[in-house]
Amino acid sequence: MTNASPLAAEDVMKAMEGLGSVDRARTNRLRVIVSPERVREAILRAQGSLGCDHVIQIGIVDNGRVFELHYHLTGPHRTVVTIKTELPRDDARIASSHDLLPPAGIYERQIHDLFGIVFEGHPNLQRLILTEDWPEDEYPLRKDWTMRPDRRYGGSTPEGT
Amino acid sequence: MPEVVVPIGPYHPALKEPVNFKVIADGEIIVRLELDLAYNHRGIEKAAEARDFVRVVPLLERVCGICSHSHTTAFCKGIEEAMGVTVPPRGQLIRVIVAELERMHSHLLWLGVAGHEIGFNTLFMWTWRDREVVQDMLEELTGNRVNYGMNAVGGVRRDIEPPLVARCLKRLSPLEERIRKYADMVRHEPTTLARFQGVGRLTKEQALAFGTVGPTARASSVDYDIRRDDPYIGYADIPFDVVTDGQGDVFGRTLVRIGELLQSVRIVRYALENLPPGPVRVNTPRGAPKAEVLSRYEAPRGELAHFIRTNNTDKVERLDIRTPTLANWTSVAVSLVGSNLADIPVVVAAIDPCLSCTSRITIVDPGRRQTSVMSWDELRAHGIDFYRRKEGV
Repeated sequence: MTNASPLAAEDVMKAMEGLGSVDRARTNRLRVIVSPERVREAILRAQGSLGCDHVIQIGIVDNGRVFELHYHLTGPHRTVVTIKTELPRDDARIASSHDLLPPAGIYERQIHDLFGIVFEGHPNLQRLILTEDWPEDEYPLRKDWTMRPDRRYGGSTPEGT
Repeated sequence: MPEVVVPIGPYHPALKEPVNFKVIADGEIIVRLELDLAYNHRGIEKAAEARDFVRVVPLLERVCGICSHSHTTAFCKGIEEAMGVTVPPRGQLIRVIVAELERMHSHLLWLGVAGHEIGFNTLFMWTWRDREVVQDMLEELTGNRVNYGMNAVGGVRRDIEPPLVARCLKRLSPLEERIRKYADMVRHEPTTLARFQGVGRLTKEQALAFGTVGPTARASSVDYDIRRDDPYIGYADIPFDVVTDGQGDVFGRTLVRIGELLQSVRIVRYALENLPPGPVRVNTPRGAPKAEVLSRYEAPRGELAHFIRTNNTDKVERLDIRTPTLANWTSVAVSLVGSNLADIPVVVAAIDPCLSCTSRITIVDPGRRQTSVMSWDELRAHGIDFYRRKEGV
């Protein structure tokens, strides 16, 4: 396992054939860009022919235009395979991958809490990071989020209520 | 007996993290576990977007009081990768020395806390005394016992003079002897055997499926260690072994951590003896070009990931931090199912998270609609008492 050779870009291209383009950031970082509806298929292929058995993180970026999701996977080959997709800001929803990647369940809850992305089919998309008295429709890590003076964000008020 | 809901936590962020567990138990046996992390979101990721790289480093130092060096190293090496800057070898090895001392103080702290949770307070006192040796070394090397302030983008902020190297080397041998003593002790002491063996068991398949990281995963034969698999800051040239264990229980996690303590001593000794001459830091540009970096780091609790996006400015467009404890929660929920209520403190402590010290536990009996409240200390006392009656330890 230790001396397993890293994945080549060609391996990933072959496994992800028809899903999207593959690029390489450095020796052990490969990335494939797919459309949101094909993310689950890309994860299945990464787990199948590429042998990925560990999800490192689901990275999320709000670049001001769209939300980017980066599913970072790795396996015995010790190469990070990143599946990247973009979601529109006005209707950010994607199929949940909690059944393919069990730890994704908790990461998706976190992303939903902070960015308001809906993971369809998630069994328990409850609040995870923010307090229960945080306003329902505000997502603080979005780039365009600002605090509204007329709202309460939890904690006590100067009047002590 | 009807099922009982036992909510544990959250609220008080004093020393430990606020986490809420809702434990559904049938008598003494746990049937299901629901998790509500939260109550302490400090918005550090958002704040990082508003500060330049120089100012983000002290901010990230405060993500965690124990793994402060882990977060700053993960961030600095990510930004350095984006900038295309190479840290001089001497600076890299100094980073390694602080990183491994941090791992030692964290594991010694854990060993003491695990001892405390099972009522073995002698172990707690001993390991925390030995931890002081590590803390003293960190203070002499960096000027601080916690939040070392050592890292900067481009290298480290302090050099180590030869007399200090000699003093640190002298302290390592007695410390190593003490760690060997603990390795022998936990294998023979009836208390640790009764309370750790077979508790919180996680198979290799489960550990992989639930995305566990660090000593928790390595105790279930999952052979992942970022220091070897994705080498950073000079680990590629340092001789060390990745410690694994096949038992998959709290006992295995203890043995892995003690084994890692010995490996850390070995790494620190090697780094101190082989410090190359030269500068410890290079000047870096103010901004970073458009880049996307996944910076991985083997923190004491497991794999830490910083996903960094830079955009031709001196600030990050996005910093996404995935801490090892978040990755390990899923496995806690799994490994507790089927075990005793009395094992909660030690199984939760075995992944080395932090739980609120003033957490209150409410016991609800749905049959009689009665509610009683139990504190974490009372649950701990219940665990110790349960095993005293059952096993005589």
